[in-house]
Amino acid sequence: MKQKQKWATVYLVLVFILLYTPIFYLIFYSFNEAGTMNQFSGFTLNHYSALAEDARLLIIALDTVRIALLSALIATVIGTAGAIGIYYTRQRRAQNVLLSLNNILLVSPDVIIGASFLLLFTLVGFQLGFYSVLLAHIAFSIPIVVLMVLPKLEDMNANMITAARDLGASPIQVLTSVILPSITPGILAGYFMAFTFSIDDFAVTFFVTGGGFATLSVEIYSRARQGVSLEINALSTLLFLVAVSLVSGYYFIQQQQRNRKKLSQLDPTVHEKAVTP
Amino acid sequence: MTEEIIVSFDQVEKKYEKETVLKTISFDLEKGKFYTLLGPSGCGKSTILNLIAGFASPSSGTVSILGKDTRDTPPNKRKINTVFQDYALFPHLNVFDNVAFGLKMKKMNKEKIKSKVTETLKLVRLEGFENRDIAEMSGGQKQRVAIARALVNEPDLLLLDEPLSALDLKLRTEMQYELRDLQQRLGITFLFVTHDQEEALAMSDEIMVMKEGRIVQTGTPNAVYDEPINRYVADFIGESNIVRGRMVRDYAVSFAGKTFTCVDGGMQPDEQVDVVIRPEDLVLTEAEAGDIQIFVQTQLFRGVHYEIMGQDDAGNDWMVHSTRQSEPGRRVGLTFDPQDIHIMRINETEEAFDERIEQFATAAYEKTSKGGAGQDD
Ligand SMILES: Nc1ncnc2c1ncn2[C@@H]1O[C@H](COP(=O)(O)OP(=O)(O)OP(=O)(O)O)[C@@H](O)[C@H]1O
Ligand SMILES: [Mg+2]
Repeated sequence: MKQKQKWATVYLVLVFILLYTPIFYLIFYSFNEAGTMNQFSGFTLNHYSALAEDARLLIIALDTVRIALLSALIATVIGTAGAIGIYYTRQRRAQNVLLSLNNILLVSPDVIIGASFLLLFTLVGFQLGFYSVLLAHIAFSIPIVVLMVLPKLEDMNANMITAARDLGASPIQVLTSVILPSITPGILAGYFMAFTFSIDDFAVTFFVTGGGFATLSVEIYSRARQGVSLEINALSTLLFLVAVSLVSGYYFIQQQQRNRKKLSQLDPTVHEKAVTP
Repeated sequence: MTEEIIVSFDQVEKKYEKETVLKTISFDLEKGKFYTLLGPSGCGKSTILNLIAGFASPSSGTVSILGKDTRDTPPNKRKINTVFQDYALFPHLNVFDNVAFGLKMKKMNKEKIKSKVTETLKLVRLEGFENRDIAEMSGGQKQRVAIARALVNEPDLLLLDEPLSALDLKLRTEMQYELRDLQQRLGITFLFVTHDQEEALAMSDEIMVMKEGRIVQTGTPNAVYDEPINRYVADFIGESNIVRGRMVRDYAVSFAGKTFTCVDGGMQPDEQVDVVIRPEDLVLTEAEAGDIQIFVQTQLFRGVHYEIMGQDDAGNDWMVHSTRQSEPGRRVGLTFDPQDIHIMRINETEEAFDERIEQFATAAYEKTSKGGAGQDD
């Protein structure tokens, strides 16, 4: 039994080493004085300062964030509305069909989504650039948001909505003062995921970008193809740090939610006994 | 003087797809009374509440509130509030905001909301709990928050859907007193749903007993308990001995091989009837002194009384609640008064029943209360 566990641990460690070695290798050489990744000759921050002076890269970084923030925001609004729509769909079959359509979008390969968007944009004569990328990102983020929000809706006590109407709330008031507050954690998680997916995306963006517009992932790709430059290492390191902080932020939010849930599951009578005379 | 009618059902039917859940329900709720809908699970109690609150609409018939047909009135426009079985409190709001919810929806000004909420929380004995999270409240406290949340809107009618069923016995009894007290102090009409007959008897001005989508009997707790319309009601409201009998003539019924004086009449001569005698109305005596004799089979100690089960010579089972004990295997006598015998016609409608009771029971009571109980056939 113990032996088995040990092997499992070894296996896990190996996998993680395999996954993370290239990243740390990249990070390590971003501090290399020599311009190549062959040999470490000394510590320097030159590549980072070069990065800071690279105006084009700076603009691209800002654009990437802009796209991510904006697409996540719009996708969250649409996705939340969609989730509420699916929730309110009375017929089981229609609900299942809608959900399946949503999930198919979620699992289809980025390349296919990218290619079909490219096709669509060229077909209707939409100019490729900032807006085409934004639209594509919104589109692939919506299913993610739906997937994060829907479980929260289903967890919600449906009687609460009845109670709110009973207490005189109009349909709009039910939405704003009962439904939305109840699913806020799901909405936040959805926004967060959409944001990460947008920052992350390469394949779809690669297809629909054009007119000199690029996001970081596309830019890194094209620069890497042109030849090794440690500036890319520096950039990748920064991106990695951003990703780590995002993930820990997400983890933190989840942790807090879990704590709240635990609190509500505690036996309340114990508390009552302590408080009431 | 005519009482103000808050809610009135006229020939209401409710169908869900193929199933008819309510069948021609008619009743009036008068202002200031405590009504109880009593019936087993699935008989349509919640459906009636939903029709009143406006969460469902009748398939046929009319539901009127204060004399007005409610067909086009959405729930949020009805001055009626509900206390739900699972409370349905808002977990994202604290106690104060839960109670204030209805007033906020009406856009009442802040100061007024504050004073009203404070007042209502005091009413349900929850002052000082304003800032508590719902998750930090006990079951009984949540229950009171739910009541306060409904009451603060000053509804014409408060609907309570089995609000006490999640509480333990002691707390439930306590809340029964509190609810009854609250209703009498405020003078608001309550429509209370339960499947617990003791709860219904303890709290109500009027009980409506339901069976499979119909109201089978309406009456005060005393009337329903003492004069159940049929076997179903007699069985549902408390434990009772129900035996087959035959009406010899008015005021004389034959069962267990003998004829007894009773206070009922208005049946056909020799009509088959059900005879009800409550276990607590049977008095244990020596075998020879009894109106009927039973052979004791089992005896259970129930705290306040002994529950004795036995069989008479005709094969009827009898349950006796007695403070005196007997023992299995003994032959004992049972005595009872004419008023304790309640006769039920088989398949009698509520109108006919009420009319007959009116006509006979009161007159007969005076006549027979002087006379003796049993007489041999
Ligand atoms: N929305 C609905 N669709 C279909 N059938 C329903 C619906 N709501 C209730 N019913 C049916 O109507 C019948 C009565 O339901 P109702 O909820 O009124 O019972 P109840 O007397 O309140 O029971 P309980 O004591 O268990 O709450 C049940 O058979 C139930 O299955
Ligand atoms: Mg019910």
